[in-house]
Amino acid sequence: MRNGGSTLRKLTGVLGTLLALSLVAAACGGDDSSTSGGTAGTSAGTNGSSPTTEESGAVGTTVATTGEAAESISIVLGSEPTSLDPHLVDDGGERAVNNNIYETLLFRTADGVLEPGLAVALPTQVDELTWEFSLREGVTFHDGTPFDSAAVVASIERMVRLIGAETTDNAGYFSPLARAEAVDPMTVRVLTSAPDGLLPSRMNWLRIVSADAAASDDITDAPNGTGPYRFVSREVGVAIELERNDAYWGAEPDVDAITFGFVPEAGTRIAGVQSGAYDLMVNLSANDREAVPNAAQVAGIEHPILILNTVEGITADVKVRQALNLAVDKQAIVDAIYGGGATVDAGQVLSETILGFNDSLEAFPYDPDQAKQLLEEAGVAGQTIQIIGESGRWVNDGDLLEAVASYWTAAGLQVDLQILEFSEWLDVFFDTESQPDVLFVSTSLDLLDPDKAATSIHSMNGLASGNDDAELAAMIDEARSELDANRRDELYQQIMASANEKAYFVWLVNTADIYGLGDRVTWTPRIDGLLLVKEMSVSG
Amino acid sequence: MGRYIARRLVQGLVVILGVSIFVFVITRVVGDPVKFMLPLSASAEERDARREVLGLNDSIPIQFGRFAGDLAHLDLGESTYVRGEPALDVVFDYLPRTIQLVALGMLLAVVGSIPLGVLASRKPGGLVDRVLTTLSLIGLSMPQFFLGYILLIAFTVKLQWFESGPGPWRTHLVLPALCMALPAIGRLAIVVRSAMIDELNTQYVKVARAKGLSQRRILGVHALRNAGIPYVTLLGWEMIRALAGYSVVVESVFNWPGLGFMAKTAIQHQDFYLIQAIVLVVAVIVVLLNISIDIAYKALDPRVKLS
Repeated sequence: MRNGGSTLRKLTGVLGTLLALSLVAAACGGDDSSTSGGTAGTSAGTNGSSPTTEESGAVGTTVATTGEAAESISIVLGSEPTSLDPHLVDDGGERAVNNNIYETLLFRTADGVLEPGLAVALPTQVDELTWEFSLREGVTFHDGTPFDSAAVVASIERMVRLIGAETTDNAGYFSPLARAEAVDPMTVRVLTSAPDGLLPSRMNWLRIVSADAAASDDITDAPNGTGPYRFVSREVGVAIELERNDAYWGAEPDVDAITFGFVPEAGTRIAGVQSGAYDLMVNLSANDREAVPNAAQVAGIEHPILILNTVEGITADVKVRQALNLAVDKQAIVDAIYGGGATVDAGQVLSETILGFNDSLEAFPYDPDQAKQLLEEAGVAGQTIQIIGESGRWVNDGDLLEAVASYWTAAGLQVDLQILEFSEWLDVFFDTESQPDVLFVSTSLDLLDPDKAATSIHSMNGLASGNDDAELAAMIDEARSELDANRRDELYQQIMASANEKAYFVWLVNTADIYGLGDRVTWTPRIDGLLLVKEMSVSG
Repeated sequence: MGRYIARRLVQGLVVILGVSIFVFVITRVVGDPVKFMLPLSASAEERDARREVLGLNDSIPIQFGRFAGDLAHLDLGESTYVRGEPALDVVFDYLPRTIQLVALGMLLAVVGSIPLGVLASRKPGGLVDRVLTTLSLIGLSMPQFFLGYILLIAFTVKLQWFESGPGPWRTHLVLPALCMALPAIGRLAIVVRSAMIDELNTQYVKVARAKGLSQRRILGVHALRNAGIPYVTLLGWEMIRALAGYSVVVESVFNWPGLGFMAKTAIQHQDFYLIQAIVLVVAVIVVLLNISIDIAYKALDPRVKLS
């Protein structure tokens, strides 16, 4: 017996040692893992709900992560913020969290109209390059530092510095900024390097940090804004927690505390909303609307579109480009593929609420007979047309492309649809030397302004442009630097009409943002896609 | 023994170095993290400027020189995905959760495989043996992503006994650990069974029977000990596979934020620095595990010479 005992002891000893080594490693790693606070895991661990009933499992998550507060909300994102520095990355997860912590000089209404924020009014123009903002009194950062012109100047200069150092991903939003100067403690002037009609929109996007924080090149570990919620803790890979800022200058938010979780799988997010573990999920597919207690939909800023090569190949002929538009039944795509979670684009890449929307334009009708006829007139019937696309990056993108390809086949073309892996697709997208017949992309109306879409795919100088239209490019440059909003509107309307007339694209749809909501939450989603918890309310 | 361990460590170092160079070259040749860092609308100039900042415009030998120099003081660079974080810090943020998963998975594998294997070996060819062997075969031949989704649908979606994602181990870790353990139980139980059948047919077991030792003592004391060596060999292999391979699949299926989950993300974003750090740390652990397994042989059978 003694002998045998020792054998088993040795065996278990060996295994035990290996496991113990593992646990030691785990414990050591654990110390490093909490970047700041990191209490979420601990509280979740000690909550110790029994796994044997469905209720306790679900409650375990909610209670563990929100503490004793009754009016807390648990939001699940598709990916974890890649940084909590409000100036470094261009990342939906980062915005979802940080827009509750940090604020901007101008806000937008849920419909997208600019309104005063940390500034008390929209800016006034001093001259072509200078905009003056009056700041709100009585605002403080979470650490108690008063908000004043020094903070605004420091925030703008930090962004300019990070752009110069090539370390921020946000150069596209802020490169026209030159510098800022304080007129007095509550008045700031922002200077641009060229006349910039988008400056007010940019100031809705630039988060204001304190002057102290602005001195650092990476403030991911110390979030400190003026917003309605303050940072509490982060457990990397697991959760970020915020709590209400009781010193907030604006109306007191209804929700006391926020927990952000991160789940890439949509199915898993849905299951979490069903069980009550999460109150709100992002990126719900229209076809899953029935799976959650409530679904909320708003027109998004994404417009999947096909860029046609107007310079060479089969698509150089405008008749062919028109035929490609006429051949596609856009409404059928909205109904069948998007389940109503999209709207047909009106022959332009803009939605109605965006400046520059041309309401005299309409979507190409679905007319397969005319499409066939035009292709025959152009002498290309039966020829091959190549589409370069990808699948999985945007909502239903693969299905959308398959549908387009079958419509074009029906119209009498040989369609060579290439669905590439995203990384390979990027290589084609970035390749300015050669252009396929048809390149699929989803254009987003960043800053709720037409400029980026115009610059990147309409202008011949753009990264993914398919045309060589110098006149159009000049018009786009002019529109960007036009300071009068009415004149800008007119210019973009002309740009949209010109692109439509020459059928530079196959316009498809504007995809909606759909959110899954649990029973406790009341919220109307915003057109700019921001998740502002101060606009949400919870019950029970 | 000390000299043996020292020699194995040196060998391990060579392995780790080789793996590092391999991963370094592969990532540099095929990837470009800048593609994934900047928004789609960023200009070619912006992208090039970022590559310059990251030093990716230099030739591969120059980059490797820099990598090797930094590696000497354990600096593996900053992750491009988890922006600005030292890659090694990111690894140590996520590694503990993988170790928890592998530890619980292997514990379940051991607890499950030994009784099953012993039970099956008692009457080779009998009903119990055939049922258990078939079950083992099913377990070991089922791909883990498939098994994982079956477990998820059954226990998380339908029965709601467990949850997916990060959380307390009893509700969140048991299922992925089971997914890791089940194929291993199949493989390990088969080894236990055949080793036990071999042992039970040896002269010493017959002698033990003849002198009237109980079946329990014969199994537990004598036979099991000799079956230990092939078992530990396979268990070590299972651990290494779990840590360096299966964790990627299992953690992705169950959304368990461990190193495998992060490895997938790092590869998707072509984050060279993070990929290198993950591979390096996993390689170090594998080398250490291998040495531990050799020492385990010695502990199980003093006749084994470590040389």
